[in-house]
Amino acid sequence: MIQLEEVDKAYQMGSMTIPVLKGINLIINEGEYVAIMGPSGSGKSTLMNLIGCLDRPTSGHYYLNGEDVSKADERKLAAVRNRQIGFVFQQFQLLPRMTAQKNVELPLVYAGVSQKERTKRAIEALEKVGLGDRKDHRPTELSGGQQQRVAIARALINNPSIILADEPTGALDTSSGQRIMDIFDQLHQEGRTVVLITHDPEIAARAHRQILLRDGQIVEDQNQGKEVSG
Amino acid sequence: MSLWENVKMALDAIWAHKLRSILTMVGIVIGVAAVIIIVAIGQGGEAELTSALTGDGNNVIIQPSSKFFMENNGVIPPDFITDLDLQGLRQIKGVENVITLSYETKSLSFREEEVDDVFIYGMNDNAVLESSGLKVAEGRAFRPADFQSGNAGALISHKLKEKLFGEEDPLGQIIRIGNQPVVVTGVLEPPVGFLASLQEMEVYLPQRTWSNVFGKSEIMQVMLEVDQPENMIEVGEKAVNLLHHNHNATDRYEVLNLQQIGDMISGITRVMTVVIGSIGGISLLVGGIGVMNIMLVSVTERTREIGIRMSLGATRTHILVQFLIESITLSVIGGLVGILLGSGVAALITLLSPWNAVVSWPVALGGVLFSMLFGVIFGLLPANKAARLNPIECLRHE
Repeated sequence: MIQLEEVDKAYQMGSMTIPVLKGINLIINEGEYVAIMGPSGSGKSTLMNLIGCLDRPTSGHYYLNGEDVSKADERKLAAVRNRQIGFVFQQFQLLPRMTAQKNVELPLVYAGVSQKERTKRAIEALEKVGLGDRKDHRPTELSGGQQQRVAIARALINNPSIILADEPTGALDTSSGQRIMDIFDQLHQEGRTVVLITHDPEIAARAHRQILLRDGQIVEDQNQGKEVSG
Repeated sequence: MSLWENVKMALDAIWAHKLRSILTMVGIVIGVAAVIIIVAIGQGGEAELTSALTGDGNNVIIQPSSKFFMENNGVIPPDFITDLDLQGLRQIKGVENVITLSYETKSLSFREEEVDDVFIYGMNDNAVLESSGLKVAEGRAFRPADFQSGNAGALISHKLKEKLFGEEDPLGQIIRIGNQPVVVTGVLEPPVGFLASLQEMEVYLPQRTWSNVFGKSEIMQVMLEVDQPENMIEVGEKAVNLLHHNHNATDRYEVLNLQQIGDMISGITRVMTVVIGSIGGISLLVGGIGVMNIMLVSVTERTREIGIRMSLGATRTHILVQFLIESITLSVIGGLVGILLGSGVAALITLLSPWNAVVSWPVALGGVLFSMLFGVIFGLLPANKAARLNPIECLRHE
């Protein structure tokens, strides 16, 4: 469960303090399928970075599965990212020198899993996204949709409870994008928490809950079309 | 994450930029090779100089003490070493042979050619030549009968031959030492290697011939061939005591301490090696800075990779270690290649020149450890820079 309480995030630009998120209160229960929407500059990426433990709030609390991680140290945050969160980025963020399989293995390397086990699980994960026959290809030898599927396999490899996707179809054509969204639907059906960041209403409509951010605040929160009180 | 995993990752990264990695390593390669070659030549030279100056055998040399020498204004009295002394010395336990040496400088001529201040040695055994590493190149060494004769021939040094005879065959020619005619029966080989520059104008005569030439029979130096190296000190002491007793004197004879000379030579060559070696060290330092430079470039280039790794669960320590090991791997490969190159060049020097370059394995090992240390020192700054990056900014980095 993701629980944000009165979370503020501000960046320091020289002597100026620029507030990006203001008093965010948000609860995302386990197994929810959520889309976070908003215009550029609304703070949705910052919100995703906070939820993904890539950053810490300036003030307020963030409870992840009941644990307060808003004041956790760098090592603890790295462990959370490694085991509880799977990231999917718009630009795929694969390492170009490594094969698909090696890319997928990467989180397991930092989890201290043996090479043998890593190979086995990476192949399974690639098969799950339909790329079992592409395991030895490098990212440059794969299409955009295939690269994104490799990235999803990588996000899933450590069996995280939360999948965080930042504009996952933003760099893809419509049919590849559909295929990616099908995978997210399936992950949701498996019981994982899926949080999408998007500005595409069509993509957002696939989620069961839509949250709209504007100027660092949640202005709308609709669950299956109904308003929920933040 | 295991060390091997990190090394494999480092090798991948180094391999991905082959040319750049090779160019970076060149600095370390040259530095390590230079240090190894210089130390090898230094140590080889030291070994050669020591053996050239002190001889290979177990020889104890008895000479006039410096005090006695000064008091007599360098004139050695005729009774300095008598036949009785020689008999006594032969009976000391451990002495296998007693060799006598006399010397004097004299002008020397052949036809119209005259050379001043030539060292004329008188000796009672060919062992004097052997202990100095001298070999006969033309003609022959002295036969036992020559040592009995008062008018045997002379062995001349190579340099003297060149000076007096040029291309002419010197064997059988008569040279004049002062006014005394002596037949040349042999020419010595030119000294090789380290001592080549020290070669002198020299003539070697059998002891009796020497006495006839100079009209005197003083023995200035006695060399005792000892059976075991560990007996040398004892034999030396006994010999000096015996001579002082025979001549009823004190502080007149002394043992030439070869150990001291050897130590002195070692000291000089060691200082030389350290001085030149530190110049090699400076090139190693320059190589290390090259490594740091390329690692900084590498960190900047791989900013996005750092962000990706962090988002997948790498801690700052993981990133630090990754880049540190990459820098160490780069340096150590350079160090190993440097050792191979240095040893190869040292072997080539030994093969192609009179120098004997001895590769010192402690120095080679030191080279590897040193380059490893350089990898750490010059990797710390870039690795630390990488570890402090903000993952969010890294992911946005183009």
